[in-house]
Parts: sequence; structure tokens; C-alpha cells
Amino acid sequence: MSSATAAPQRQRQSRPSTSDPKATARARTTRWARRAPLLPALIFLIIVTQLPFVATLIISFMNWNSLRPNDTSFAGIDNYISVLTDQGLRASIITTIILTVTVVLVSLLLGLGLALLLDKKFIGRGIVRTMLIAPFLIVPVAAALVWKHALLNPSYGLVNGTLTWVWSLFGSDNPPQPELLSQAPLFAVEASLIWQWTPFMMLILLAGLQSRPMDVIEAAQIDGASRWQIFRYLTLPHLRQYLELGGLLGTIYIVQNFDAVFTLTSGGLGTANLPFSIYQTFYTANDYGLASATGVVVVIGTIIIATFALRTVFTLFQKEESR
Amino acid sequence: MGATTTQAGVARRRTPTPWGSYLTLAVAVAVMVLPLVWMVLAGFKDPDEIYSSPIQWLPATVDATNYASAINAVPFGNFFLNSAITTVIGAGLKMMLGLTTAYALVFLDFPLKKLVFGVVIFALLVPQQIVIIPNYTLVAELGWINTYQGIIVPGLASAFGTFLFRQHFLTLPASILEAAALDGAGHWTRLWRFLVPISAPTIAAVALVSIVAEWNEYLWPLLVVDRAEMMTLPVGLTLLQNNDGMADWGVLMAATVLVTAPVLIAFFALQKRIVSGLTAGAVTG
Repeated sequence: MSSATAAPQRQRQSRPSTSDPKATARARTTRWARRAPLLPALIFLIIVTQLPFVATLIISFMNWNSLRPNDTSFAGIDNYISVLTDQGLRASIITTIILTVTVVLVSLLLGLGLALLLDKKFIGRGIVRTMLIAPFLIVPVAAALVWKHALLNPSYGLVNGTLTWVWSLFGSDNPPQPELLSQAPLFAVEASLIWQWTPFMMLILLAGLQSRPMDVIEAAQIDGASRWQIFRYLTLPHLRQYLELGGLLGTIYIVQNFDAVFTLTSGGLGTANLPFSIYQTFYTANDYGLASATGVVVVIGTIIIATFALRTVFTLFQKEESR
Repeated sequence: MGATTTQAGVARRRTPTPWGSYLTLAVAVAVMVLPLVWMVLAGFKDPDEIYSSPIQWLPATVDATNYASAINAVPFGNFFLNSAITTVIGAGLKMMLGLTTAYALVFLDFPLKKLVFGVVIFALLVPQQIVIIPNYTLVAELGWINTYQGIIVPGLASAFGTFLFRQHFLTLPASILEAAALDGAGHWTRLWRFLVPISAPTIAAVALVSIVAEWNEYLWPLLVVDRAEMMTLPVGLTLLQNNDGMADWGVLMAATVLVTAPVLIAFFALQKRIVSGLTAGAVTG
């Protein structure tokens, strides 16, 4: 596609090049002058996106604690050894994986269920869809505050308040009062994130469902295919790339989640994930080298997780370019 | 005609009124919406009503006491202004960068184009938290702590817009730009006069995602701002929580309503465009 649009230019400049080398040079300068306003953006984007990462990479091989600025030196792979051997950091790697996998899978499944329900026409569908999207639009810190105080407060939150109310309806004054934030803190973080991310998955999968070729499905219905067969052999294969897209975007965002962990539990009780650990190592312990090494480990982890999904994204490119 | 009636007949026979589906949907809506309703209700309750056992569902009166306390407890006007400034400038710059970079990646010939695109994609995978250390060190050295440029500039490193715009540009027919090129239009004119007008849905989608991302941004402003007057809304919420939220979260819930409302309103205004633009850009149909 790019070659097609550049073609007129190439034709224009190829004519003088046969006779006069100076004209070629002039043509090249004009070409560059025309491109010039666009390239700075590209260069700037590469600098802001890549230089900090290169700097992080360099810092990760250094002994650098901002509390002892004169004590900066080359550390080799010491920081990486600390990341992989330090109990707390190793635990936070595992927490990150559990958190990400749970939230992405559960919200994909719930999102798929809701999308299938919303795919049918019924009165009030628009309103229902809008209401189901709402949680995704809440500012993450605000959502975390709502969960922490209004929903999960052990005595006065909505969850335990409702439990007390329901039990009292049946004449019991001994209702279960789970204190999620202290008894199952990771579950509390997961629940709040699933609540926020299910709508996102639902939106992507709903778009997928609505782009299905309906004639094929109608033909299958007439041929007597059961609903399950239609779902399994027509809908699901069609949804595959939408499921992968949702999974990829969800993974990228949830691996990086900081707001929910920081607000709900302050990383306590085994909920510290890698971004939180980086924040802590950097902000509280001021160990820049170790924090950078942790960051590099996160990037490598994200790449490994995303590679499978990315491969599909790239096959999408190829499909598109071959069109 | 006969065929359509048979099909409709088949469809009707196969789907009796799906009460199970309706029930499931009703439960789902309740689970998704109740926390928000509860947040709004709590914003109107006074402490006695919040700390009541058994639970009190509705506030006795609808008055704005909690809202007034929230606005008085912390410089809420400043938070709002700071959030608005950083969001508009940050998202605007991100869009400009995304459009021009995507244009260069799709319509210009330059060496190592594939590699450059790979580098841009790689940026999608590098979480912002990773680069906080060099960014923080640099911003601190430039004296940008507690400034707008300190909050905005490092956040411009987002490849999301570039990625979606590139995908969109690739789907456009080449003839549009060829005609413009034959008319002697430069790259700048081609981008703004020809590409931007026909890319409205994608631009709306990227605009919304960028605006929401800037509005929601938390960790970075938390690090570079420590003066209350320079805080953005999400950071301000934490300040409010630490000041007096623990004692009375009715005030805190009133503040979260104030923070959340603009995003909800913007979404409902743009809803249709967003959904079609996002999926059209990201998935080939």
C-alpha cells in the first residue's frame, strides 16, 4: 500500500535521473523536505518510548540507591539474582501471574456469556448494554475506593450488610460475615478487577458476534444443527480472534495493575504484584538498581505471555496486507 | 418471500421466550450496577446512616452535604482543573503523535520501516511502571516535579494510537491519496485534508481511549506531584481518603461520583462511534 502511494513520486523523479545527477540530488532534497514535518513525530515517539527503557536496562545492572548517591557502581547481574532469589519479589512474580490469569480468564468467560445473551434482540437491549458497560468507565482508583469502603467494609459494607439483612429475614442473627479484605485479600482484588474488565471483554466479543455471517448460521439451522453445534462449530471459531484480542489487551493492562492493589490492600497479605513491588523498591527503599531489574523481569514476562497472542495479531496483519 | 417466512418460522420455533436468559441478564445487571448505585447513595448519606446496623438502604434526605465537605476538605477545584489540563493537552499531543507516526509508517518509504514498526509495537508491551525510574530521575533533574510538563511528557510514550491509526490507514484505498498526490498536495495536506476527515470513527475511538487513560492515570502523577494544588483527581482522591475518608466514607463516595461523572457523560455521548471505531481498527472483519 505504501509503495502504491509513493509511486507517483518515484515516477516524477526517475525522469531527470537519467540525464542529470544534480537533479536527482535536488529531487531527493525536496522529497526529504516534504517528509520532514512527519519524521520528527516518529523520532520523538521512538525516543520517549524507547530511551527510558534503555535507561532502565542500564540502571538494572548498577548499584544505585538514591540515599547513598556517592556509592553508585556497576553491579553485574547482582540485581537480577536478588529479584529471582528474594522471597518477597519471587512471591510477587507468582501473585502477578495468578492475578492476571484469573482476572483475564474469568472476565473473558463472563464477558462471553453476557455477549451471547445481549446478541439476541429484546426490548431494552440498549439500556441493558449501557448499564453493563458502566463499571469499565469508572476511574480505577475510584472503583477501588468504592470496593474498599462501600462494598467490603467488614461491618457496614454492602456485602456483609446484605448478608445480615437476608439472614435476619429468616430470623437468624448469626449471619456469615466474611472479611474479604483481610481473609482473602487477593480474591478481593481479583473480584474488583473482574467487575471492571468483564464489560470490556463483553464489548469486544459482542462486536465479534455481530460480525458473524448470518446466512451460514441460518443455513445450519435449516439443516437441523443444534444450538450447541452452531455455537461450537460456527460461532466459536469465528470469535477466536476476538477472544485473543480481548485476552491480549486484558493481559497487558492487568499485568501492569497498580491502582487496585495499592488502594485495596496496599500490597499487604500476599497481594503485592510486580508493579507494586517496583513502586515499593523505588519509592520506599530507594533501590533504583533493584527496582529497574524487577521492571526488566516484568517486561520479559509480559513478552512471554503476550507472544502467543501477538503471533495471532501478526497473522492479522498479514491477512490485511494481502488484501 | 416464501423462504424468509420459513426461516422466521424456524427461528421462532427454536426460541421460546427465554426466561432463563432474562433472569441471568437481570442478575448480571444487578451485580454490575449495584456497586455504582451504592456509591451514589452513600454520597447522600450522613455518617449515622452509613454506620447503621441493620443496613440502611436509602438516605433519609438527598442533600449535598457530603459534596460540600469533599470540596472544602481538599482543593477540589484545583484537582479538576489539573486533570482537565493534563487530559486535554496529553491526549491531544498523543493523537497528533499517533496520526503523524502512523502516516509515516504507512505512506512514506524510509529505511528499516519494518524494524521501526517493531519498535513501536514493543512499546505497547513495556509497562509504564517499568520506566518510572529513569523518567523520575530525568523529570526531577529538569526541575519538573509538581509541573504540568512533568505529568504530561513521559505519558506521551504511548504506541496505542499509532497502532490503531496504522491499522486503519492500511485499510484505506490507495486511490484517495494518489489523487491528492497528483494534485501536488504535500504530505501534511494529504494527512489533514484527506485522511483525517475519512478517519473520524477511528479518531473518535483513539481520542476516547487516550482521554480516559489520561483522566485515570494514577501512579505517575502520584510520584511527580506532592503539592496538593498540583494534584490530579485520582491522586486527590487518595489525599482525601488519607485526610478524613477513613472516618466518613460518605464524603469519599461523593468525591468518587464527582471524579467518575465526566467519563460516564463523555462515553454516553460518544457511545456508538466508540464501539464501532475500536473494533473496526483492531480486528479485521
